[in-house]
Amino acid sequence: MTETSVTKKNDLPEVYIDDILMSLKYFTDEHEAHLKIIDPQVCVNCKEKPCIQFCPVGAYRTQDGGTVQIAFQSCVECGTCRVMCPPANVSWKLPRGGFGVSYKFG
Amino acid sequence: MDKNEKLVFDVIVVGAGLSGSAAAAIAARGGLKVAVIERGQNPGSKNYFGGALYTHSLMEIYPDFWDRKPPLERPVTETGFWFLSTDGLVKATVQGGKVNSNPIDAYVALRAKFDAWWAEQAQKEGAFIIPKTLVVDFIRENGKVVGVKTDRDQGDIYAPVVIITEGVNNLLTQKLGLAKHDLKGESSALAVKQLISLPAATINARFGLTDNDHGAALSVMGDVSMGLPGLGFLYTGVDCVSVGVGVTLEALREAGIKPYELLQRYMNHPMIAPLIAGGRLMEYGAHIIPEGGWSTMPQLYTDGVMVAGDAASMVNALHWEGTNMAIVAGKSAAETAIEAHQKKDFSAQSLSSYRARLDKRFIMKDLRQYRNLSHFLKTHPDFMAIYPTFLNDALGMFFTGFGKPKGQLYKDILKSLTSRRPLLKAVGDIVAFGRTIIGI
Repeated sequence: MTETSVTKKNDLPEVYIDDILMSLKYFTDEHEAHLKIIDPQVCVNCKEKPCIQFCPVGAYRTQDGGTVQIAFQSCVECGTCRVMCPPANVSWKLPRGGFGVSYKFG
Repeated sequence: MDKNEKLVFDVIVVGAGLSGSAAAAIAARGGLKVAVIERGQNPGSKNYFGGALYTHSLMEIYPDFWDRKPPLERPVTETGFWFLSTDGLVKATVQGGKVNSNPIDAYVALRAKFDAWWAEQAQKEGAFIIPKTLVVDFIRENGKVVGVKTDRDQGDIYAPVVIITEGVNNLLTQKLGLAKHDLKGESSALAVKQLISLPAATINARFGLTDNDHGAALSVMGDVSMGLPGLGFLYTGVDCVSVGVGVTLEALREAGIKPYELLQRYMNHPMIAPLIAGGRLMEYGAHIIPEGGWSTMPQLYTDGVMVAGDAASMVNALHWEGTNMAIVAGKSAAETAIEAHQKKDFSAQSLSSYRARLDKRFIMKDLRQYRNLSHFLKTHPDFMAIYPTFLNDALGMFFTGFGKPKGQLYKDILKSLTSRRPLLKAVGDIVAFGRTIIGI
């Protein structure tokens, strides 16, 4: 691997994603979460938990005991977690009509 | 409306994106009764790209496109590649000449604004737009699709033809079995972007643009993705700059990095930071690009259904085409729907002329030619790590080799390549890349 290769993770700046998400507009569905963990225990057993890293809005957070919680309110409906969760433990639906992220500029 | 009265249209379009509203406009102009079902608050509110639109496709739908005062940002008068090393930059961009066409081939745009307007144009043609409504399933009779079920009360809508332009997360296309599987991590890229507000004069000065009628669209390679298979981009709006990076989902997961940190790292790069310094974040967002193209394309039609745009994996990752394919495919689907109504035949056999229409255009030709691109990136994972940095080294050495024997200079340049990649392998990479883009 070369010096620009991907193993050098330590030069990534720390980013407070919640500050960045302030720029987004959402219509939050208070009655229905469109994303759900199918079986919490599967997350506990998942050592890798790549969802914590790859979700572009940081919606996946670990809890005490190794479970994973989804802040579905932050979701921008990209689909990455549905495709990349190693044990396919995410129930992924689109928000109901009119709900979810609403880009002002796009 | 009578509770028992069925809501019937000639065509249902699922999703008011570039493809959907193009399909709706053409179908409505052809005399069909069209419903466009859009899940967002407004057309455009779910749509996201870099990005630039291509005028050939826009004018194909509306020959009087420019008289309609489209909400575009700047024309792309300078475009090309930027190659980043960790601290350097080689620019290979083109301006003037063929780029200075009339009209200019590409325009920077913001999708929420543009797509809302694009849907309005379809409405003017007579299409009926139904926002805030999610299509959840199909209505089938004798195994054939005859309409859609929505998440509204009494939300069933009937039509003998459904054009699916649902976007990259093509769950409906999968539900019909047209797509055999979900997206793949190796052929899908997650792109994240920050839209940065800056005064137009500042953008002009920093990007070397004459005035607000000049703009840049830049494809950035190398350190931008930390060498991962992916690309960065920069687009200048009138008073905003789009700065973003896309990496394949698989590479992202394997590297274990946060996409927004990768983006911030790119924005902090010594060659990039001065371009956006002092800017205010207007909006962040993320979207998947279906870069598999030909290799991940679903079956494009079946009885009563056609699929177009991102839902059909119509993206040429190397040329940043996708929006134009979506628009032209939407038009082709609409023409097929009009023809099917004339024949009163909505069978797969009848709708197969959709595929024939696409075969004749750049869409299928190009996607077929580039069918191995995502395979190339998978089998050459270091491509973006090696060559952009080498280019910086080589040109950097060439243009600073003053007062040194030039024989040694060329040896040093060669060594900067071979220290990263053995010469034969480098030659192999170039040949393989050439074969990939020629499509042999």
